[in-house]
Amino acid sequence: MDKELEHQFITNLEKHQNIAHKICRIYTNDQDSHNDLFQEITIQLWKAYPKFRGEAKFSTWMYRVALNTAITLYRKKKRGIKTQDFDTVHFKIKSEEYDGEVEENLKLMYAAIGELNDIEKALVFLYLEEKNYREISETLGITEVNARVKMNRVKTKLKSIINP
Amino acid sequence: MDELDILKKDWKQQEASLPKLSYNEIYKMLWKKSSSIVKWIFIISILELLFWGVLNILLSDGEFWKRMEVINLKEFTVIVYVLSYAVTFYFIYRFYRNYKKISSTDDAATLMKNILTTRKTVKYYVGFIIISSALTSLVYSYFTIFHHAATAEVENPANYNFTATQWLILTAAIIFGSAIFLGIIWLFYRLIYGILLNRLNKNYKELKNLEE
Repeated sequence: MDKELEHQFITNLEKHQNIAHKICRIYTNDQDSHNDLFQEITIQLWKAYPKFRGEAKFSTWMYRVALNTAITLYRKKKRGIKTQDFDTVHFKIKSEEYDGEVEENLKLMYAAIGELNDIEKALVFLYLEEKNYREISETLGITEVNARVKMNRVKTKLKSIINP
Repeated sequence: MDELDILKKDWKQQEASLPKLSYNEIYKMLWKKSSSIVKWIFIISILELLFWGVLNILLSDGEFWKRMEVINLKEFTVIVYVLSYAVTFYFIYRFYRNYKKISSTDDAATLMKNILTTRKTVKYYVGFIIISSALTSLVYSYFTIFHHAATAEVENPANYNFTATQWLILTAAIIFGSAIFLGIIWLFYRLIYGILLNRLNKNYKELKNLEE
């Protein structure tokens, strides 16, 4: 039984691992931290898995647990000097696809996301994942109105970095 | 096209560059140790409950009971102890209940609130211990001094009469000593809270602002 549960869990996570990796990209800025956070997300998902009874989609459930881990549960390990920047390593922007200005703007925005606080990062992440306000408010535990106001603020903040 | 739409589009393309872990790599991760904040809060809280609980018991050894009998406070002490045990068990029960409520499958705000409540339970317990110890030791000091004054046979009672200044110095010394003791505990708490809960408190406030 436990073996079966384990197999089921790993298969699910393997299939949906992108969700966790994307959260790691938003919340960390080097590969070691990325791996650390991914590890903790996996442990938290696995610990919570017995309570997952399939009434929701695995991916929906995973968004919640993984974000909770990044915002609340995860304790960052102290790291040495950061040698690499957020935008250059973590996000690989394919230069051939964009003209110079757009590429520059994207770099600026990814860098700006790295500077946001934990809650703003969560909002941006959910926005980029095209979650609607109902889902956002349910994931974060705030009202839809609050979610909207906060989201607009973050959007304005990001835009103002490009058009100061 | 809006800048944010471009970002959204690029975000999708980023998926191609995401790491891809194999079944076996994920399998190995399941058995690693968690370094979650809840685990630390649990360990530290248990240590605190034990520390203050044990301290409470150790301070009431046989010697203590004999002294209480001498100054006619045995009944009072029994009542104080029964009460303090009852309160301790109540706090442990509350702590356990709150701890059990912490679930990573709750929404972010509820999760944060439950963690903060669990931690607060321990904080209130320590507050209770400190305040009740202060009150009971005041009562004991009062009775000890007056009992001693009434029964002690001294050759020259005048030596034991404090002047107003001496009383003042004694009182000042007691207040100073207690202040240092409380200061150390306060610092210790700032440290624990700073390390464990700063980020959590900040995020909770950030998340819940705009809401009543």
